[in-house]
Amino acid sequence: MIRQAGAKQPVWDLPTRLVHWLLACLIAFSWWSVEYHHTDWHIWSGCAILTLLIFRLMWGFAGSSTARFANFVRGPVAIANYWRGQWTGIGHNPLGALSVLALLLVTAVQVGLGLVAQDEDGIFMGPLAQLVSSDTSDKARDIHELWFYVLLGFIALHLAAVAFYRVVRGKRLVMPMITGRAPLEPGVKPMRPGKWWAALACLAVALGVTRWVIAGAPPL
Amino acid sequence: MRFTTFAAACACVLLTGCGDWKSGQANNATANISEDSRPAPTAVATTTAMRTTAPATKEEALEIMHERHEGMEGMGKATKAIGRELKSDSPDLGVIRESARKITDFAPRSAVLFPPGTGPDVGKTGAKPEIWQNAQDFAAKDADFQRAAQAFGTAVSSGELTAIKAKFADLGNTCKACHDKYRAKMKH
Repeated sequence: MIRQAGAKQPVWDLPTRLVHWLLACLIAFSWWSVEYHHTDWHIWSGCAILTLLIFRLMWGFAGSSTARFANFVRGPVAIANYWRGQWTGIGHNPLGALSVLALLLVTAVQVGLGLVAQDEDGIFMGPLAQLVSSDTSDKARDIHELWFYVLLGFIALHLAAVAFYRVVRGKRLVMPMITGRAPLEPGVKPMRPGKWWAALACLAVALGVTRWVIAGAPPL
Repeated sequence: MRFTTFAAACACVLLTGCGDWKSGQANNATANISEDSRPAPTAVATTTAMRTTAPATKEEALEIMHERHEGMEGMGKATKAIGRELKSDSPDLGVIRESARKITDFAPRSAVLFPPGTGPDVGKTGAKPEIWQNAQDFAAKDADFQRAAQAFGTAVSSGELTAIKAKFADLGNTCKACHDKYRAKMKH
């Protein structure tokens, strides 16, 4: 079959898109729930984010071609070349890769802090708060509150970059992240999809680890 | 098609696990604390009434606010200590008793520490002005708290862990009911 130039081809698989949008929703929900005193929902939301992060990490090794870290995380030379316009490909570009890693890392730190935190009144405890002292849990909560601004900063940068590509570069990034498809330059190979059973296996492990964390990380 | 399977599996994320983040509860709490079926204590708990007369001087007001702040902070510490004991595999009743006493001692004091004229316009405090705008509701919530503290104290005296956990949860709810509505975020 001959592909038409500019015809839309798969660039993001469904698991990657789901993780992306669920993460966005759950971060918003986490903020809302704790702001409006639904601390229990807030902790559940954090656990769900933990599941997403573990899944995404594994999917970064077992997923489709554009989901794999090895295919998009590049060194400074590749980033410089990209900036000079010498890059053709699909998925995360070498500079965007940094954004992906930063957002995942900053979110992971936020989840980690929340796991060991306790609320101001001692009514709620994160699932791993028991593993540290009460003072450490209080400290973790303080940093958790401040770290949210770091997370917000990276989200703002991410949104600014998406807007920059749309306005300055004329490149639409949002629709492909929803539909999974984008028009490709001629000669660029489309995404090689992942295996559905690999996605299920990653999900099963992510859920298993999360449940273990929820149980307070008992010795195995 | 294969992704339908995946999406269905994702939906399971929302259905898995059951836990309770209340500090006195085990993470995978199997016993429902509200199923405490024993009869309620027959003795009607008496509560200290709200102080409604404003302090005469600013010094007195600040003194009250200071005691209030220290008392609330002490209760927070006591609650954390108890929550951690109750969550541990072998709760130390001695620690629970000691911390519970701080709570039962302070609870009746709470009623006299919120007179008019001790709000944010007077000094640094997390107490919202709404406290004095909804004086009746605030007084009712404080009475709930005092009763819950007494019931908790009784449970601690009995030494029975199930009862202690149940009353601790009830107590936490009365803290939360008031804080959600009448406490402003305060950094110190």
